[in-house]
Amino acid sequence: MKKLFLIFLVLNLYSQDIVSRNRRCFLCHGKEDYKIIEDGKEKSLYVSPGEYYQSVHKNFLCTACHYDVTTIPHLRKPKKIHCLQCHYAGNVVGAPVKEMPEKYKESIHGKAKEKGKEAPDCIDCHTTHYVRNPLDSLSTINKRNVPNTCGKCHTLIKEEYFKGIHGKALLKRIYETAVCNDCHREHDIFSPEDPRSALNPKNVVSTCEKCHADVTIMKKYGVPVRQVEAFKESFHGIALEYGIVKSANCVSCHGYHDILPSKDPKSPIHPKNLANTCGKCHPRASENVAKGKYHVIPYEKEAGVVYYVYNFFKWFTFFVIFGLIVHIILDLAGRGLRKFKK
Amino acid sequence: MKEEEKIYEEIINEIEKEGFKVKEEFKEKIKKEVKEKIKKELEKERKKVEKKKEEKEYFIRFSLNIRLQHLTLAVGCLLLIITGLPIKFHESFWAEIYFKLTGGIQVSRFLHRIGATLLVIVAIWHTIYLFTKEGRREFKELLPTKKDFFDFFQNIKYFLKLTDERPKFGRYSYIEKFDYWAVYWGMVIMIGSGTLMWFHNFFLGIIPKFILDIAREAHSDEALLATLAIIIWHWYNAHFNPEVFPFNPTIFTGKISKERMMKEHPLEYEKIMKEKNKE
Repeated sequence: MKKLFLIFLVLNLYSQDIVSRNRRCFLCHGKEDYKIIEDGKEKSLYVSPGEYYQSVHKNFLCTACHYDVTTIPHLRKPKKIHCLQCHYAGNVVGAPVKEMPEKYKESIHGKAKEKGKEAPDCIDCHTTHYVRNPLDSLSTINKRNVPNTCGKCHTLIKEEYFKGIHGKALLKRIYETAVCNDCHREHDIFSPEDPRSALNPKNVVSTCEKCHADVTIMKKYGVPVRQVEAFKESFHGIALEYGIVKSANCVSCHGYHDILPSKDPKSPIHPKNLANTCGKCHPRASENVAKGKYHVIPYEKEAGVVYYVYNFFKWFTFFVIFGLIVHIILDLAGRGLRKFKK
Repeated sequence: MKEEEKIYEEIINEIEKEGFKVKEEFKEKIKKEVKEKIKKELEKERKKVEKKKEEKEYFIRFSLNIRLQHLTLAVGCLLLIITGLPIKFHESFWAEIYFKLTGGIQVSRFLHRIGATLLVIVAIWHTIYLFTKEGRREFKELLPTKKDFFDFFQNIKYFLKLTDERPKFGRYSYIEKFDYWAVYWGMVIMIGSGTLMWFHNFFLGIIPKFILDIAREAHSDEALLATLAIIIWHWYNAHFNPEVFPFNPTIFTGKISKERMMKEHPLEYEKIMKEKNKE
């Protein structure tokens, strides 16, 4: 106990020490209007101490990262730092190391960055000084803030997203809805053409399935659950399963960023728009395509006529084959009887 | 033996007539050789006669036309079953193996359409055939009659040993008639629904979507029924039935032996014999 208390005390003193030692940096950098002019542009050098001390790095000295600042005031511009400075395997600071950086390097953002194009690095999403735990509601990568974080660059898509049902749900604070990374993933984002992408035609179904086949979530909001199951049984589904990529998957009909339920007249699957939607692949599609149910599961009563067709054939097959088998068995039994008696 | 001896003696007499004196030892030698040669010749002729007799005891049961129709239908059906079932049971491990071995679903789809074409060809061919003289005669024989109904019960009784009298079938037994008419049902459903799906892009503009849904369900279900009926019922009657095991070649050769004719189609046999006697 005593030992534990001592450790706690030392840690506490140390953190006290961090606040007092960092205070020297915040003397200048803690002022909101602290800025310089660089390349003819104003550049804010402000770091909010309040937010910093709520971040996951609150127990670190400013100079832990900005190691080249040794005197205050520092006369030279500190070197650019990078997260991997600490977050590498075998580091002694205790910075958590996950496979994220490796994933990022392979991703479309990482590859673009490697080629010297403008692409987000860690800090663009995680922020520089205010990195919070993703579960913290103020974190830039918390579910409720993800669309805004990605939307900093992908502005048009952000607009589209908030027009769709997933975005609308997010605005209603339904956090079971899908945000950017639920479909695109985070660190390992690939172009849909890449087979590794979660949104490659081959993987779209399993990506949507993560939520849309989950009874507990879907029941809550009255969304049908068995659509994915039905799709996999459809010819589109089977073709996709065996590698025909041009076959329709979920997004081919439903759209993606601005997905809307069929009731909405703007939705591509609204009965009035179906002819156009199907017409993308089936040129002769007319209003006839709206006459009938979609995602039919033949053995469910909701399937309508198909349910009765299914049942007719089920019982018809059963009785016919049963009769034929009985006839065969009787034939064989008769032969057996006669042989035995002779 | 007598024949051989006679021929031998004739030969010896002829030799002696010409004034040669034959030693006894030499006579014995000739006797042996001639005997053997004559034996072989006689046996050969006997066999020829027997073969001719046997051939005469065969009946031609199916015309070449029927045989070719059956062959086309059989090849078509097998092709359709092999390429179709893996699509119905796409989640099974064997479907995956099948698609890997055959080069994917596109190959299967293509082969399936070839099978479908064969089926359609047979359907048209048979319809035309029904208007020929032979076709009309066969069709009349295939129409279900009251007798088939009684034959069925008689056969069941026979199976159960309630009677020792087998039903007397005509040209086609109720079993064969069932096979024939089942194909009508299958063809109408499979070709109908198959056509809708093959040309779905055309039909999408004409018919409501739910009819295509029905077509797909019916196609898939009827396919299973037909497959089971062929494998269990038709193959039992044509292959695995102890009477014909391993294989009843009549539908391919067209020939049926007198024995089987008398046993399996006694009424037809009687009819043919009566007609022959009249002639």
